[in-house]
Amino acid sequence: MRSNANGAEQRPLLTSDVAAPADALTRLVARGDQEFEAFFERVESVELLPKGAPNRVRLRKEQGLAVRKIENGRSRLAAADTISGPAFAACCDRVAGTTRSIGTTPPRIRTGRWPALRLAQIEQAESRLTRAVNRRRVGFPMEITARRHRRQVQVIRSRMAAPPQFEEYFSLHVKTPWGVWGGLLPSLAAEDLDPVALCLVDRLRSRGLPPHRPGPGVIVLGPNAAAVLLHEVVAHALEADTLALSGSPDQVVGLKLGGPELDVVDDPRSAPLACKRSSDDEGTAAISRWLLRRGRVRQPLADLAWAERCPSMIPGAARRASRHRLPGPRTTHLELLPGAIPERELFAEAAGGLYIGEFDRGNLDPFDGRCVLRAPCGRRIGATGPRDHTGPIEIRSRAVDLLAAVAAVGDRPLAGGAGWCAKDGALLPVWARCPSVRLEGLQVAD
Amino acid sequence: MKSARLPGTRSLKLALGAVRERTGAAGAELYVKVGRTRRIEIDPWTTPPPADPDDLPAQVSILDERGWALRAGGANRALFLADSGPLPEPNGWKRLSRHSPRPGTLRLPAPSSETSPGITPSASAGAGEREPDDEEAAGLALLQGVLRGLGERMPEARLIRGRLDCGASAAVLASTTGVTGRTALRLATVELDSAASRDGRLGHCRLYRAASNLHLLSADSIASEIAERLTLATAPAPPFLPAGEVAVSPALGCYLLALLAPLLRGRNGWRRLRKLGADRPLGPPQLQIVDDGALDAGWMSAALDDEGVPTRAVALVHDGEPGEPLLSWEDDGWSGFAAAGCRRRSGWRALPELCHSHLYIAGGSEPAESIRTGIVHGCYLLDRAHDGQCHATFEPSTNGSAGRLGEGHFEVDAIGLVIRRGAVLGEAPRVRLTGSVRQLLQGIRAIGDDLRFLPAPGAVGAPTLLLTGLQVEAIG
Repeated sequence: MRSNANGAEQRPLLTSDVAAPADALTRLVARGDQEFEAFFERVESVELLPKGAPNRVRLRKEQGLAVRKIENGRSRLAAADTISGPAFAACCDRVAGTTRSIGTTPPRIRTGRWPALRLAQIEQAESRLTRAVNRRRVGFPMEITARRHRRQVQVIRSRMAAPPQFEEYFSLHVKTPWGVWGGLLPSLAAEDLDPVALCLVDRLRSRGLPPHRPGPGVIVLGPNAAAVLLHEVVAHALEADTLALSGSPDQVVGLKLGGPELDVVDDPRSAPLACKRSSDDEGTAAISRWLLRRGRVRQPLADLAWAERCPSMIPGAARRASRHRLPGPRTTHLELLPGAIPERELFAEAAGGLYIGEFDRGNLDPFDGRCVLRAPCGRRIGATGPRDHTGPIEIRSRAVDLLAAVAAVGDRPLAGGAGWCAKDGALLPVWARCPSVRLEGLQVAD
Repeated sequence: MKSARLPGTRSLKLALGAVRERTGAAGAELYVKVGRTRRIEIDPWTTPPPADPDDLPAQVSILDERGWALRAGGANRALFLADSGPLPEPNGWKRLSRHSPRPGTLRLPAPSSETSPGITPSASAGAGEREPDDEEAAGLALLQGVLRGLGERMPEARLIRGRLDCGASAAVLASTTGVTGRTALRLATVELDSAASRDGRLGHCRLYRAASNLHLLSADSIASEIAERLTLATAPAPPFLPAGEVAVSPALGCYLLALLAPLLRGRNGWRRLRKLGADRPLGPPQLQIVDDGALDAGWMSAALDDEGVPTRAVALVHDGEPGEPLLSWEDDGWSGFAAAGCRRRSGWRALPELCHSHLYIAGGSEPAESIRTGIVHGCYLLDRAHDGQCHATFEPSTNGSAGRLGEGHFEVDAIGLVIRRGAVLGEAPRVRLTGSVRQLLQGIRAIGDDLRFLPAPGAVGAPTLLLTGLQVEAIG
């Protein structure tokens, strides 16, 4: 039994032999082009609301399974909110369309104990964040809601069982008199709360300022903002299902989307320590995937179904929001590889331009490639770097124009820009590691 | 496999006794829900459709959901715990202890004299207890019918994404205060994203419709609605927009009413609503806005809310004047108003929250067609523009004066037609309708007789409305 960075014990989800359900799935296969998969999931969320809220501590636990048949690119899925042999057998019957499809005796399926609750680490979040804000010589009322999310997943296919996966991360929701900040954190340690405090103080200093409309000029994006930009215009744009809306997904391979400074990788194995994944939600081994190599499309994000339809695609990027949803190709941990430009030099000759530390919202229209990015505040760049605060900033541009505008990439990548991706209503945590980037000559759409 | 059955209230009471014994909590409530959903998702670019619905490239999911939630505590300590699967046996609560409740408060409703324990208003729907064999076939036939109808009406249209959910759920609750209740619901929803390109102009449409039964959804009318919206969305912009009357369809009326929802619930909403009117009526005398948790044939209709409090019709705006506020049992008697069952849970994982169930503007006496043809110089707005603005701001003015934001301001992007003396002059692919909430309500000149409900969340209903005094401008 191992412990992760947050001290949570990584208990196995299934304590019974995975060979039994794997054998049962093998018996379901009637034809060579059929594949069966079982997905076991356990989720725990602990929520601590601000003082004075009714039911201040809220604990939600759930576990269940799903069996899926894949045949000719079509899926048939049956899911249940319990993990047991009979539930597994019933789901097999439903996808197979027969009774007793795996025989008369369901396999023995047992689950291990839930990890220890450990509420103390969540209870400390409020005081730690308040201290981090106060260190910047300011103080203001905050209503802090802290949540810890844990998820255990085990995927078994008819011929293989992937290693069990365990994720643990935190989310914060901070309400201030001038707005709400929300985001994901790998831990509630001081070093992860400090950037949150910085964002909150920036918002304090820009409160009440009118919206700022960026004109042509230099825009420097901090690591958080660069991560959101890349999530929208690289990761979403290169998901096989998004690409299929406008043609064949594999036709984009080799397409030039940006300059040679853009090396973008999706690597679930290098996500923050407690969120690393060695396999995806279909049990396929996760890989380090070059999305863009020197600005050209190298390998779009694909799951098993899309890899079957487009043979040049490599699966391993399947994610599912829960056992009740079908998997789809999604990013997990996006990385922009560092450039050679020192951070300070990104601001050189940028006087009069804008510095954006974070975007709190982003959206890509998959049909026309238009992207909208919204920042709650920004700063004007002076001779020595970011200075005066500005009000909210909205950037509307085509995805290709945004990427073409990347003129320089900083040399110091930082973890940041983590958040919930809500594509198609499926809420998934996404992580990133980026340096700052400098945009020049950005074409802003009306 | 049969659907999971709900436990009886006796099992719940035994479990409540065990919870109180272990935690020492003054009060406790258990809520158990089971449900089954059949989901059909169809892949993009499937026009023309195959002749046999079974050949549709569809992904089918059969989802059994089952979970429970416990609230326990008292004046100083409280606990909320939700878990999937069946309710633990009375001796299965060993993990709970006197330390489980944390600082917080818990209040639970007392049984009402009107409460009939065990009421199952929609039990005839057999929610969670039966599964029609033809549900999947009917769902595939509906989607195929939509594709075929769309192809006939607008060959250049393509369905990008289609999802049909058809399911039923049932819930039971019991509390230590003596409240017990059962509810059951059946619902079918269809969500379709479509696109078309005409003369280089790309248009999108997202349609979301619901009915209490799959067979009440008509493929023909859905296809017609999509084609109508795509035709407007891909039309050239009009050379000018008349700034006179604006008629809005029931679909757009629903979105406008949904924007006003914060004013129409709770004590704070009531205070703002009363302020809006100032010394004048809120709207015309024929304006009635109602929330009714027990609406006959409504999708969400139930005799009890998710805390076991009886539901009823609440006239929020009556004859154009503020009527009574939508109050939960905790506010019963506030300013002399009675509470109604209005706290709902979005699922077994969620705590009950004050929300609307069937919020609607009651239909008037004027035929909707005569409202549309009676426009002298104005617009008929059919629906929201895909991915356009649709929001209202209710921030109080910061300097304390009754500024514009103090009365609420809304902004909705819509598609529609330009009308002159009842005749269509041209299409309006994207216009922005803006104004204050006061202008919106006081500017209602006619209310049609074609009340229609749309899923919002919850159900929101509106008939065709004739509005004046709002700003309309072409955008994009």
